[in-house]
Amino acid sequence: MYPRWLWRVFALPGVLWLLLLFVVPFYAVVGVAFGRVDPIFQNPIPVWNPFHWNTAQVLETLARFVPGHAYWVVFLRTTEYVALSVVICLFIGYPVAYYISRHARRSKTILLVLLVLPFWVSYLMRMLAWIDLLAPDGYVNRFLMWSHIYPHPPNWLSGNPGSVILALVYGYIPYMILPLLAALDRIDQRLLEASRDLGASPMQTFFRVTLPLSKTGVLGGSVIIALPMFGDYYTPAIISGSPRTSMIGNQIFLYFHGGPQPAVGATLTLVLSLFLGVLMAYYMYSVAKTQRLAQ
Amino acid sequence: MADNNDFPAQGGQGAFGVGMSRRRALQSLTSAGLGLAAAPWLSRMAWADEAGGQPSGPGGLPLARPDHPVTLPLYEDPIKSGLKPETGGTFTVFNYADYLDKKLLDEFGKKYKVKTLLTTFSDMDQAITRLATRAVDVDVTELTPDRLDQAVAGKLLKPINHSYLPNLKNNVWPQLHSPFYDVGSRYTVPYTVYTTGIGWRSDKVGEDIAKLDNPWSIFWKAQQYKGMAGLINSPREALGLAMLYRHFYGLNTEDPKRLDQALADLKALMPICSPKVNNTEYQTLAQGSSWLHQAWSGDLLTGAMYYLPKGTSSKVLRYWTAPKGKAPIQNDCWAISSTTKKPVLAHLWLNFLLEEKVAYSNFVNFTGYQPPINSIDTEALVNKGLIPEQLHTAVIKPDDLGPTSLQYMTLTSKGQALWQNAYSRFISGT
Repeated sequence: MYPRWLWRVFALPGVLWLLLLFVVPFYAVVGVAFGRVDPIFQNPIPVWNPFHWNTAQVLETLARFVPGHAYWVVFLRTTEYVALSVVICLFIGYPVAYYISRHARRSKTILLVLLVLPFWVSYLMRMLAWIDLLAPDGYVNRFLMWSHIYPHPPNWLSGNPGSVILALVYGYIPYMILPLLAALDRIDQRLLEASRDLGASPMQTFFRVTLPLSKTGVLGGSVIIALPMFGDYYTPAIISGSPRTSMIGNQIFLYFHGGPQPAVGATLTLVLSLFLGVLMAYYMYSVAKTQRLAQ
Repeated sequence: MADNNDFPAQGGQGAFGVGMSRRRALQSLTSAGLGLAAAPWLSRMAWADEAGGQPSGPGGLPLARPDHPVTLPLYEDPIKSGLKPETGGTFTVFNYADYLDKKLLDEFGKKYKVKTLLTTFSDMDQAITRLATRAVDVDVTELTPDRLDQAVAGKLLKPINHSYLPNLKNNVWPQLHSPFYDVGSRYTVPYTVYTTGIGWRSDKVGEDIAKLDNPWSIFWKAQQYKGMAGLINSPREALGLAMLYRHFYGLNTEDPKRLDQALADLKALMPICSPKVNNTEYQTLAQGSSWLHQAWSGDLLTGAMYYLPKGTSSKVLRYWTAPKGKAPIQNDCWAISSTTKKPVLAHLWLNFLLEEKVAYSNFVNFTGYQPPINSIDTEALVNKGLIPEQLHTAVIKPDDLGPTSLQYMTLTSKGQALWQNAYSRFISGT
């Protein structure tokens, strides 16, 4: 027999990983938000001891986080873009995952490979490719004019929120499909058969059995793509480059990138983390609830 | 001309109220008998914002302006004269990517029998951070004058022994032998010069911008170029453009009212032309994805030399900048890293870059940014067709520099925060 502690040791690498690469860096961001800057180089100097924190600068930044102020507007815009992108990803991703899980059969492996294929190309390259497609004289506009669908197509690359959302969807959708696929694959076929045997139509079976049982996949996929989208700054910068479509990540980048106010960037990061923490808590609560029900 | 180099109110207005300098506050306190207790603290504060009647920046060094030259302090002696160059090992050069012809670096390595390595940074913030944290071990570094006092105060640079640099006096424009930001060229030699102006595509933009009463105003009249206009992605350059539009030439101002006005003017651009903010104008103007862009002079030359698509004539590229004192003119530099283990070779590198043939080759074969070298006759380059005739406006002459020229220079910490916050509000798109 093995001693009990042996299995706990298996968690050690993960715990160390979390401590070194999440807890400590996160506390460093907190230390920067409440810290000082080097008087010569303007590098942030984190203050580790909470008793020595400079709370005034954090409060000053938070005061600009109220309705009507710049950070509030950018934060709302970011939330709007991310929410729309997640919903679109879900509407596109769910049918794809459903098809692969239920109907693909022999082609399942090929489809999975195709899903993973975009990861082989750099995210940056994939975004740059959209520039050629969406340029004023690019293929998209040429097609729209040729087909008379849109004789005077807009400039997609100059402050067009639709282009930024499209790019976010394109960039992150594989991360949505994979957890959905895993969740759908885990559903016991016998439950679906039981539903049909009890007289439910295919549609009723989907809405009353499949969809509720894939909830963890929906939430998991949404969280996985929403988290990086919230911090994304290069997608709007590449695809739009306009202040009209800037996201909170662009503000964080500006303050961390140079100048005497890295604390502002750190405070914005903390506010964002807090918001994402709430989303994450809901996800964890849902997963725990589902697990309890399953038992 | 409006106040050219508009220094902030002496001593700042923070801790001691409006209009009262820290120096005066110190005098008042001393006379009141409180000075003994408060003097050390106040002295430190004074050192941080004011030195010798001029506002000061990093390490208390006075802030240089074209009409306020600064001699930088020496923290160590330059190397002795007549030493032999080091051989063997690797000589490392720290620079922006694509801002130096690698062939020239290889040529230098061959000449002095050392391996050479180009290490790059994406911007000056990153460069200073990496030098300061010793994240890189380099021998020489490219540098902009507005970061020089940071580098000197932080002891990141080695002083220069001019006996190794005959090319500085022999080949470089006299105006830059002893520049205002580094009197006596104690730490730097100049590399390139460039102005900030407006670049446009004449086949897309109908107006002859150069002939407008106020050419800067083109951005505020650019409704028909909506989505095809752009600004340089830099707090100083973008807000500076709005100031120039208002005929305000104090581009180093720290006056919140001036910045608020500039911000309001920039925001007004959003419904007019929805400008993009980026630094890719050298490419986008040439390729036609941008028609009107705030630009550096070198961008147009680079665009004409390397980025025009096949079948597009270089004649479509235009550049305008205002006359001396009414538009920013900048220059980049090279300096020797304090950590160099090849100080003689580092000096020789600086001298090498100032060789006429080397500077010429780097300019016309690679960077497109003009070096301030006497023998490079830019008119001859125009006549030869190396520079398109209509882009003679992007060429800079020695007389464009001087005490009445405009140059974005270091601000106090408070000033930097003001500019950064204003720019943050602009790029928030509100």
